[in-house]
Amino acid sequence: MSQFVPGSGFLARTASDLHAAARKTFYADEFAHTPGFLQSLDPRSKIVGLGAMVLAASSTRHPEALAAMLVFGLLLAIASRIPLKVLAARAWAGIFLLTFVLAGPAMFTTPGNPIIQLPFGIQITDHGLKTAALLILRVETAATFPALLILSTPWMHVLKALRVLRVPVALVVILALTCRYIVLLLQTAQDMFEARESRRIGILSTKQQRQMATSSVGVLFTKTLVLSEEVYLAMRARGYNGDVFLLQTFRMRPRDWAVAIAMPAGAFLPLLLK
Amino acid sequence: MHIPDGYLSPSTCAALYVGAAPFWYVAAKRTNRLLHSRLMPRISLFAAFSFVLMMFNIPLPGGTTGHATGIGIATVVLGPWASMLSISVALAIQAIIFGDGGITAIGANCFNIAILGSLATWGVYKLLTVSAAAGSPRRVFAAGLAGYVGLNVAALATAIEFGIQPSLFRDANGAPLYAPYPLHIAIPAMMIGHLTIAGLAEFFVASGLTAFIQRTDPTLLGNATTTEPQQTSTRRLWMVLGILLMLTPLGILAAGTAWGEWGASDFADPEARKQIAAASLNAPLPVHPPQGLAKLSSIWTAPVPDYAPVFLKSESFGYMMSGIFGVGLVIFASQIVAWIVRRART
Amino acid sequence: MGLFEVRQLSFRYGARNALENIDLNITAGERVVLLGSNGSGKSTLLRLLDGLYLPSSGSIHFDGVELTEARLADPQLLIAFRRRVGLLFQDPDVQLFNATVFDEIAFGPLQLGWTREQVIAAVEEALNLFNIAELRDRAPYLLSGGEKKRVALASVLVVKPDVLLLDEPTAALDPKSQGQLIAFLQALPASTTVITATHELSRIEDFAQTGCILQQGRIVKHGSVSSILDDPALLRTADLL
Repeated sequence: MSQFVPGSGFLARTASDLHAAARKTFYADEFAHTPGFLQSLDPRSKIVGLGAMVLAASSTRHPEALAAMLVFGLLLAIASRIPLKVLAARAWAGIFLLTFVLAGPAMFTTPGNPIIQLPFGIQITDHGLKTAALLILRVETAATFPALLILSTPWMHVLKALRVLRVPVALVVILALTCRYIVLLLQTAQDMFEARESRRIGILSTKQQRQMATSSVGVLFTKTLVLSEEVYLAMRARGYNGDVFLLQTFRMRPRDWAVAIAMPAGAFLPLLLK
Repeated sequence: MHIPDGYLSPSTCAALYVGAAPFWYVAAKRTNRLLHSRLMPRISLFAAFSFVLMMFNIPLPGGTTGHATGIGIATVVLGPWASMLSISVALAIQAIIFGDGGITAIGANCFNIAILGSLATWGVYKLLTVSAAAGSPRRVFAAGLAGYVGLNVAALATAIEFGIQPSLFRDANGAPLYAPYPLHIAIPAMMIGHLTIAGLAEFFVASGLTAFIQRTDPTLLGNATTTEPQQTSTRRLWMVLGILLMLTPLGILAAGTAWGEWGASDFADPEARKQIAAASLNAPLPVHPPQGLAKLSSIWTAPVPDYAPVFLKSESFGYMMSGIFGVGLVIFASQIVAWIVRRART
Repeated sequence: MGLFEVRQLSFRYGARNALENIDLNITAGERVVLLGSNGSGKSTLLRLLDGLYLPSSGSIHFDGVELTEARLADPQLLIAFRRRVGLLFQDPDVQLFNATVFDEIAFGPLQLGWTREQVIAAVEEALNLFNIAELRDRAPYLLSGGEKKRVALASVLVVKPDVLLLDEPTAALDPKSQGQLIAFLQALPASTTVITATHELSRIEDFAQTGCILQQGRIVKHGSVSSILDDPALLRTADLL
């Protein structure tokens, strides 16, 4: 949420953050259209199957079960021709840093039997090590499955398939609209910042920079308000009157049913093992 | 601040989904009535705005930069209810599409940021802008401070949820299963960053945008677009919330048994059977060979009076009470604010 | 009797008068062009004709029925009206609010309550007609300007309206796409009424016979397109030259 970076060049930094977000947005579908195992499945069976894996990963108290699930995730990625590099960048890297910072100190502070003695009376305890390892393993495993879903499925199909979880149509449409306009606002913001960066003269004080940042946000906000009214009119012009309808063209085949049943069953098996 | 999957136990996540549900319901009802079918694009666009806003590095005094969430400005312009929906949608998109924040934690993140954050922001903003004109400089400061408080309330709620994990969820040897730090570490660790950097970014964005709106379209700061709670139509909501508030800790505590996480052997223990049965609303259980269930006894409680003594002695009960107290305080405070605002108007 | 009958129409945005005392008759099958500089009120007039705004004073009749708040709130009348009248917005980013091209084109028929089979058949037909079948699963932000315009047109024409309201249809299009669009408009059935708002004079005689010049919310001339093009003094005062 925040970062410690020296004061100048916030324009360039924001522009680069926007660029990174836009890239992530534009290339999100990159692997969704290549042939592979997950890509060949009905999005609804993927939501049910991979969703069950996330739930199971958050629930189990056995590191062995977590490790098995992680390996299963890797196999799914390989079978779907999703490069592990991409999966690592998307699911593992950011969250690993965060979790490592969080879990690291727990190795020392959690009471338990010391296993490694360090100078100044600091010691790593068995419980501490287990706690840290379990948290990291759990978080990484749980992050793998949503990433597999989103990498192997076009966004709109993911959102539409949420209907299988009884998500109301209106919410699905709101989510889709939001995705659509995130891209537009990102583009607008990017254009704005690149234009400002190219016109920038001299070094600005923090206060001036801040004023510039908030006025850019203001322009974006105005655009948001105008768009929200215009889009409403455009929807109305084509018959929208408060209720909205969706057309779903998914088809469940035997393999989809197999995944939708076998994955949750397999995922919750470890929970029953003592 | 977005909680990933695996930091909170599934039962805590479930409890927070349940806690968020009535707010979402009432928010959808209220905003729908006020904005009619404009609601759909408006919520989406504000959610998209909040999303993009998080990419903006706001330069702060001292040479650092921070990101704002938009909770401040969304509440000031849209009112607490529509803001709740918009920020929830933004959080859901972040979790589902971008992997920022967990899928199982969507309820928790929405409860903390979108719901508690909007309510706290609205309370502070209303309190400070009693009888202030749309163009008054007081609104600029009020919006900033409201955003600051809103974000920090959200961070505090997140810290409390992290902090109660180690006392509620441990394995057989006592090692924490989820977030490992108790409240006295989790709260300062979360709050220092938010009270300084993230909170300030929120302050500057909310106040800067409010000043911007005053120059460009001050009608947005009137009541034309906001959906503020009114006593008459929300009394039922507060009642439902009150009941829920009483039930929620029971839900979280009952989860102390980690509902759905008990091993196969637990089914056989008569004590455990009774407890599981109570937690499962007395649904019949399958029979299995008996075994011990000591790990549950210290933190177990159920909505049955017989168990109350154990429940009161439990250490986690104290933690829970602080959580309920916090939530209750936000609701109570917003009621007080609503009362003051009404008084000032008449 | 005209298809659209506009009587003494005024429309205010807040304190500003966007349109004042507009009288206009448009008959079925007529091809009309609304000419005016930016802010002259032509987009607003299109939106009033589409029932998106209601007159501040005066009236609009469509096919003998006045467009009122009550009538447009009646779901059946609204659906019947939306089925017959389509509006192409100027900004394709506003018009294309769905996540994929397929959903965009399916949106209108779905809102009008068509069955699943009818919707799919109509969308397929529109995709082929506009030569955009290969774009079906694309997101709108991945389309070029010309493709966006074609998808937007397809999303309006998929329900086969008999009145087409076009807001700056050729704006930001390259000459080739402009040519395609005009050829398409010329190929529409003669019974289709087309009302086009534009500030570009080039090639208007190719798709309209009559024209109105709007200046600061008032109609300053109404006549044949050739008579309008032959009056450079007027075009200059209306900031069109």
